[in-house]
Amino acid sequence: MFTKVLIANRGEIAVRILRACREVGIETVAVYSEADRQALHVRYADEAYLLGPAPSRESYLRGDKIIEIARKCGADAIHPGYGFLAERDDFAEACEEAGIAFIGPKPSSIAAMGDKAVARATVLKAGVPVVPGTEDVGNMTDEQLLAVASKIGFPLLIKATAGGGGKGMREVVNLDEMPVLIQSARREAEAAFGDGNVYLEKLVEGARHIEIQILADAHGNVIHLGERECSLQRRHQKLLEESPSPFMDEELRNKMGAVAVKAAKAVDYINAGTIEFLVDKDKNYYFLEMNTRLQVEHPVTEMVTGIDIVKEQIRIARGRQLSYTQDDIKLNGAAIECRINAEDPYNGFLPSTGRIEHSLLPTGPGVRVDTGVYPGFEITPYYDPMIAKLIVWGETRGQAILRMRRALEEYRIVGVRTNIPFHQTMMNSHRFMAGQYDTRFVEERFSMEQIEEGRSEFPDIAALIATLVTHDQTQRAAQIVRRNERDTSNWKWVGRWERMHR
Amino acid sequence: MKYAASINGNEFTIEIIDEKTVIVNGKTLTVNFDSVSGQPVYSLIVDGKSYEAYVYPGDEDWQVLLQGQLYPVKVEDEREKRLRAAAGGAVADTGEYHMKAPMPGMVVSVSVEEGQEVEKGQVLVILESMKMQNELKSPRAGTVNRIRVKSGDSVEQRQTLLSVA
Repeated sequence: MFTKVLIANRGEIAVRILRACREVGIETVAVYSEADRQALHVRYADEAYLLGPAPSRESYLRGDKIIEIARKCGADAIHPGYGFLAERDDFAEACEEAGIAFIGPKPSSIAAMGDKAVARATVLKAGVPVVPGTEDVGNMTDEQLLAVASKIGFPLLIKATAGGGGKGMREVVNLDEMPVLIQSARREAEAAFGDGNVYLEKLVEGARHIEIQILADAHGNVIHLGERECSLQRRHQKLLEESPSPFMDEELRNKMGAVAVKAAKAVDYINAGTIEFLVDKDKNYYFLEMNTRLQVEHPVTEMVTGIDIVKEQIRIARGRQLSYTQDDIKLNGAAIECRINAEDPYNGFLPSTGRIEHSLLPTGPGVRVDTGVYPGFEITPYYDPMIAKLIVWGETRGQAILRMRRALEEYRIVGVRTNIPFHQTMMNSHRFMAGQYDTRFVEERFSMEQIEEGRSEFPDIAALIATLVTHDQTQRAAQIVRRNERDTSNWKWVGRWERMHR
Repeated sequence: MKYAASINGNEFTIEIIDEKTVIVNGKTLTVNFDSVSGQPVYSLIVDGKSYEAYVYPGDEDWQVLLQGQLYPVKVEDEREKRLRAAAGGAVADTGEYHMKAPMPGMVVSVSVEEGQEVEKGQVLVILESMKMQNELKSPRAGTVNRIRVKSGDSVEQRQTLLSVA
């Protein structure tokens, strides 16, 4: 049983994992890039070791170096977090070979689910419904893809075989534009994953993105922790998640939960994992993919189930039985998570970099903030723009929305622009309040332009504040001019100065 | 001192009498205004009501972020207003536009050539930052006349990428 865990990640998730380790009395080891010397995970960990220069390729993606550090410092387990090396079966395998416990699934499960085409084929065999698309394939040529496209039907999606996070994904509405889109998808996939392979999938219209959290131990116990609603996305990046989904009922939850468990068993899954589904208007659901790791949005499930998923991961990796059976799992109340990104929602969501000058976190009942930044920390262009996750819990979904509004208004981050106003606008959106949204909502039917729609509430206050700032500046500028004037005559001043230096 | 503030054409006449007194559109208000620990976050108490806002300098205006809404506010003092009236209205959209990198990153591609005519909203440069590819678009129609970067270049924030005349 391991007693020292190396966390092969950075940012809020590294901090999240550190906290779980601390609470169960496990020693922690952080690794960091040159850009992250001052990062919170480095400051919180018992030990910290430098990996290399800022770019991920030379630091957080250096599996060989990470294992070497683990060996040297005597860490007997590695938690990969999400992203970076979390879904690399070769890394999990290398850990195993080095005699280090990998807090995650077996390499074979990662491999089976990591190749999206293999994953589809595997779960299909286990009787799990999948979105119609290219079935058999790994390396299809452009000609083959074009030939099979009309059989699947338009609109369809080009997706990267090695993909995730919407990279290498393109939507196609007709055959004419397809060759160009295949090229750009391949290029993006090549750049992001070093693998330009793509496959096709029918686009399910008006679909919701709903995922099921599962936990599986080494003794054959597999349970699910209900769903997370992740339909609010922009450019295939999730922005906000909630549990339970306002679209879900108990019957559908049980059905999808059972199917998720089946999919996990199909690859002999161990540890925490997530099965993503697309659900159409008529509540037909299709397997999308399995994420063989801890998810960004795991806290919403923790809030409604009361289960600490990271601690369960550690427990599972230590070879023990799950602390819960399926009957123990009850969803209590509602939880919402807003991903706080360093992006300017008023300027095309362009990433914003810079030093965090000031930060005031929302607190109070039912509020949780997972973050890796603090005042003085520099947001660099090397990593993901997500700087914090704001999670709230409420007795009902309505209570959770009201609490999220309150918490967003309390949150102050100065130094970089954030998407907090986006979330505030979302919390005021009638469609969101009614739970009527799908994966296209943000891009097609949502607007930040409330002022033009005449919904602005305090234009007079805004005008007054801007005027007072202008006035302040004018006054201060006048003072700077005056500052050079000495209160005594220059002759007297020179005399004093000379005497002082005598 | 008298100021004219406008939000999307909606005008406010604001007179600052002293530190505690202002007149907004003819109405006298008691204010207490403070920047919160020297940050661009400002606290305003007006007749007992408390507000807090971020105030960012824009190109020609202030961007006031108040309770999740962004208000672009143009503020002029009386002298500036008179000057502008004398000059015969707003400055036309002429002169060179220099596209600057909104954040540090790497140039993925430059989609135009020198001398090329471009439309407003046309993609000029694709810049990769924080693992995302961002399209930088032309704010107006014109001719591209100096391209200072090529694909593969690393650029700093606010570095000039190209110019449109």
